[in-house]
Amino acid sequence: MQTPATNARAQKTPLTIISGFLGSGKTSLLNHLLTQAGPENGGRRITAMVNDFGALNIDAELIAEKHGNQIALANGCVCCSIGDDLMRSFIEVMQQDPLPDHIIIEASGVAEPTRIAGFASVDPQMRLDGIVTLVDAAAHHIHANDPHLADNYGKQIEAAHLLLISKPDLANAQQRAALNDELRAAYPHVPLAEVTHGKMPIDVVLGLNSDSAPALPTDEMAHNLVQWAGHLPPLPRHKIVKRLETLRPHVLRAKGVLRDSAGDYVLHLAGGRISTETYAGDASGHFVIIGKPQMPDAATLEKLFTQNEAA
Amino acid sequence: MSIIYQGKSIRTMNPHLPQATHIAVRDGHILAVGTAQDIDGWQKAWGPLELNTDFASRSLLPGFIEGHSHMMEGMFWDYHYVGFYDREGPDGTVWPGLKSIDAVVDKLKEIQATREDKDTPLLAWGFDPIYFTDRRMNAADLDAVSEDCAVIVLHASLHILNANNFVMDAADVKNADNSEFIRRDENGQPNGEFLGQLGYYMAMRTTGINLLAIASSPETLVNFANVARQTGVTTATDLVNPVPEGSEKPMRDAIDADDFPMRLVVAFQGNSKEPDEAVARMQELQASNSDKLRFSIVKMVADGSIQGFSARLKWPHYYNGAENGLWYIEPERLGEYLKAYTKAGIQVHVHTNGDECTEVALDKIEEALREHPWPDHRHTLQHCQMATRAHFKRMKSLGVGVNLFSNHLYYWGDAHINITMGPERAARLDDAGGALAEGVPLAIHSDAPVTALAPLFTAWCAVNRLSSGGVTLGNGTQNITVEQALYAITMGAAYSLKMENEIGSLECGKRADIAILADDPVDVGAAGLKDISVIGTMVGGIVHLNQGRD
Ligand SMILES: [Zn+2]
Repeated sequence: MQTPATNARAQKTPLTIISGFLGSGKTSLLNHLLTQAGPENGGRRITAMVNDFGALNIDAELIAEKHGNQIALANGCVCCSIGDDLMRSFIEVMQQDPLPDHIIIEASGVAEPTRIAGFASVDPQMRLDGIVTLVDAAAHHIHANDPHLADNYGKQIEAAHLLLISKPDLANAQQRAALNDELRAAYPHVPLAEVTHGKMPIDVVLGLNSDSAPALPTDEMAHNLVQWAGHLPPLPRHKIVKRLETLRPHVLRAKGVLRDSAGDYVLHLAGGRISTETYAGDASGHFVIIGKPQMPDAATLEKLFTQNEAA
Repeated sequence: MSIIYQGKSIRTMNPHLPQATHIAVRDGHILAVGTAQDIDGWQKAWGPLELNTDFASRSLLPGFIEGHSHMMEGMFWDYHYVGFYDREGPDGTVWPGLKSIDAVVDKLKEIQATREDKDTPLLAWGFDPIYFTDRRMNAADLDAVSEDCAVIVLHASLHILNANNFVMDAADVKNADNSEFIRRDENGQPNGEFLGQLGYYMAMRTTGINLLAIASSPETLVNFANVARQTGVTTATDLVNPVPEGSEKPMRDAIDADDFPMRLVVAFQGNSKEPDEAVARMQELQASNSDKLRFSIVKMVADGSIQGFSARLKWPHYYNGAENGLWYIEPERLGEYLKAYTKAGIQVHVHTNGDECTEVALDKIEEALREHPWPDHRHTLQHCQMATRAHFKRMKSLGVGVNLFSNHLYYWGDAHINITMGPERAARLDDAGGALAEGVPLAIHSDAPVTALAPLFTAWCAVNRLSSGGVTLGNGTQNITVEQALYAITMGAAYSLKMENEIGSLECGKRADIAILADDPVDVGAAGLKDISVIGTMVGGIVHLNQGRD
């Protein structure tokens, strides 16, 4: 476990925290993320830290091996039961050799996600990728007014880099609109989307560490999201960042392998945060954005990102 | 073979015969208690009684029972103690207290200078910054010990640790996101102090020392038992252990040995599995109980600690305005577990520190009991430090017992008055007097290693309610008498573990578990309780003497 003092950010295993109350759909989301992992889908080997195997509902055929508190899946992913001992679980997970490509933790319903994130900040080989908080559309008003849990609920929402409104089908139109407005007003810069039965593209939820561009699956999962892809000329990176900013809150995820006078770099918008890191290869200029239908149309985006003058 | 031990005084905790001079022991059990004459008649049936006068000048009490401790107490003794007070190790070595940060650093330099392998991690424990108010220990202090190996100092509270720059570089924390668990200096740089589990995690990930494995090793158990023996404890608890499959065998091998000087009650970590599986595992464990090792109770942790601001307090929350603490489990899930265990007839001990948490725990216990009525469930609230008289009344009605964290009065009493609770609520901190007045079964505890394991000290805290700053907490209604405190650390704790039929008092038929003291605690009285010298113990008729005591 002794590691060299310098660790490039890119070499660290990203950690995504799925937060939300009991019954908010964390397990459904995790289930869907796991089915989208594995060799057929870009080869991400995910280790999922969960509270309860049983709830995960893993297809028996997918289970390659089960021992103790770990289940190895046929697609290369691993599920670990936390058993109320987060520290022990992290120690065990980080002893895997090789380390997973991505760690997803299904936080307990009362966990403060920022506390869990702390483990990543002191681990030489882990970094926080993002905090995703699920908000139950139908139960929001109950949770927000719970005499013992309201403060906790607020902290989970506040910590989010991506807010997902779950079970929209169980709420009426008025509830949905009110919740949307409330969250939009309180967290204008945090991407916000609705999710039904956990169906959300893996590249929206995870992704800073992947080498492939985020891609929107064509199945029904993505019915309420849109994608734009294009090739960008070598513009100064601060300009690209600024233009991307103008698309908030409608953009959920973006990735580009780009070039400017300072060199080749990868630009990410994930979990609500924009970041850049040096790219060692030969940048293609390929740029992908996944967002909501309210996002400007393709022609507008094309113009926004390819014209030389600041938009 | 029966032996009759003579004592200067024997305090039995048996109301039918509170005091005696002789106690006869046979086959690990108490054959008789009384005067030599009273006991004499047993020779007809059992043959000659051999008189032993080794303890004729001593005071004998039922072996003390620590109802809330952790075997982790035994894990640090291979490392270096740097606490403020002198502390005695399991081998009887006294580690002198260090009275300043510089003294701690000098001690560590001295250790480093004499170590053979200077590149291995240097770990110290017991550091207590409460006593050093002028400044905090920082990374530079520990860099002075070494810049070429990990230097880590664990605090006495176990909630904080200090690390040197070698560790911080290895963990790459310079660029870490802001976290309330990473303390920073005025320039915004991590200053070397890490809070909560984060610090332990970093220590393990950067040094490769697996503290978790050490915490549950047989060596740690032996150290724990030896520390306990020195304080007169004959039964202790490991109050939360996930007991992974296969871990019970090595535990039993260590504990069942005759020279292992203690019984251990292990509380299974209640939510380490889903309710159905957890109940099944608990039943499996219970079937494997031995005389000295018991898997008889379940522990659920519902909130954090008051001094760590992670306990759940009722409005108006913390005195200093800190935001309310944390739930360690969803109240709804706590309820599910309580129902499952209550249905299966398994006793649950619930950790609740703040008063909001105490109320929620009582709500959930009540719900469970409505569904699965169980007259003698004896579910117990552990710590329960902020309970009001109203809470105690409700506990009485529900049949819930309490084990109060009386050592807090001394160690954190001042902090509770000035910072966490304010004077009005701090007056009722760990209100043993209130619990007894309302008829709630009472035990008191140390939560070792959070505070030192020593039931006579715990009793002293509950009797005197004096803080380390010299302030008396409360108005006298919260204090208990010396006799009540002695009962709490013997029969009170036995009752909380459903072992009152076996241990906790000295009477015919019970296990021969005895604390051997230099002086009679009732004669010594309130002020001197904590200073009574413990000569040794007897566990199941086997005597275990402490080194160099008189
Ligand atoms: Zn404890």
